[in-house]
Amino acid sequence: MSFAWPWQYSFPPFFTLQPNGDTRRKQLAAWCALVLGYCRRQRLHAMTVREAQDGPLFANRRLQRKLPLEAVQVVLEELRKQGNLEWLDKNKSSFLIMWKRPEEWGKLIYQWVLKNGLTNSVFTLYELTSGDDTENEEFHGLDESMLLRALQALQQEHKAEIITLDDGRGVKFF
Amino acid sequence: MHRRGVGAGAIAKKKLAEAKYKERGTVLAEDQLAQMSKQLDMFKTNLEEFASKHKQEIRKNPQFRVQFQDMCATIGVDPLASGKGFWSEMLGVGDFYYELGVQIIEVCLALKHRNGGLITLEELHQQVLKGRGKFAQDVSQDDLLRAIKKLKVLGNGFGIIPVGGTYLIQSVPAELNMDHTVVLQLAEKKGYVTVSEIKSSLKWETERAKQVLEHLLKEGMAWLDTQAAGDPQYWLPALFTELYSQEITPEEAKEAIP
Repeated sequence: MSFAWPWQYSFPPFFTLQPNGDTRRKQLAAWCALVLGYCRRQRLHAMTVREAQDGPLFANRRLQRKLPLEAVQVVLEELRKQGNLEWLDKNKSSFLIMWKRPEEWGKLIYQWVLKNGLTNSVFTLYELTSGDDTENEEFHGLDESMLLRALQALQQEHKAEIITLDDGRGVKFF
Repeated sequence: MHRRGVGAGAIAKKKLAEAKYKERGTVLAEDQLAQMSKQLDMFKTNLEEFASKHKQEIRKNPQFRVQFQDMCATIGVDPLASGKGFWSEMLGVGDFYYELGVQIIEVCLALKHRNGGLITLEELHQQVLKGRGKFAQDVSQDDLLRAIKKLKVLGNGFGIIPVGGTYLIQSVPAELNMDHTVVLQLAEKKGYVTVSEIKSSLKWETERAKQVLEHLLKEGMAWLDTQAAGDPQYWLPALFTELYSQEITPEEAKEAIP
């Protein structure tokens, strides 16, 4: 199923940062929702600004419109303020896009654990994000650092414990 | 020898004749009036009988409804004029338009943030029909216009702007004067308009054109596009056909509750 672009994506002015304050607020809200929805659909957890600019997200080729860099930065800053984005470097060239917060990921993972009767099992981080068993789960392909944060959240709730294995890290669920 | 027809005497005679004719004319007119009055009463009675007999049809069939209302208009009766009274009680027609008015307001409130309070009659029609569901009475665009006119009378700040063969319905109390309206009409063709187009079509000065466009931007009815090939383009979401029949989202529906 292909991504359902919102109506604004076909609307040429959507790619011009609007001069009117109220309209701009609506525009930014729509952009933030679009970025989160798109990344969620494509299971993207991290991106560089370059990738973002070159991809279909900020440029509609058919329409011959693209959101200029300054405006892209405004959108990314909005997402950061909302808690959905974290910069990975000082130069702000790449970022984590969190369409779910770490605690939300933790909850999802734990639900999967319970559903499959996997308490008291041990997993490597790799198995969780890339194993066959989790292929259909939303957290499949999750960025390792995000996964750790999710597990840390569960650890706080005594639902999991992060452990060190021979060749990396793992987790035990309770 | 005196000429015929002129002279004080002739004039006086003429005046007398005129007066007599006038009197006769008055008598005639009174007669006619009495006749017409009788006929009008007959019309009214017949119309009432007609309405009573075809009540269901009037409620169910939009075309029939238009014709019925046209008939009423011919004899100077407005079935919607008052909330109480024979017509609305008899047919429940008053309620019908009142309820429709409420629906219209709901749709306009829900979509206001998208289009700044301007919506085409087509889109309004589509959205209202969707909201009514399968088993509700069919409504026509004519019904919508009547309901909106009624809303206007009640002071709900609705406006009806003719554009290119259809209408734009304005549901926010924005100040839209003749200049704004005529630019909207110009924009209807392509969904957007530029300063040069306004200048060449309407023969205006640059400043006047810019003022109107600035106003539309300020009201949230227009968005700016600076990446067009020529002049910057001012687009109206209300005229953006790809936006038609987009579902009203749950967030938007929340806006519809005043």
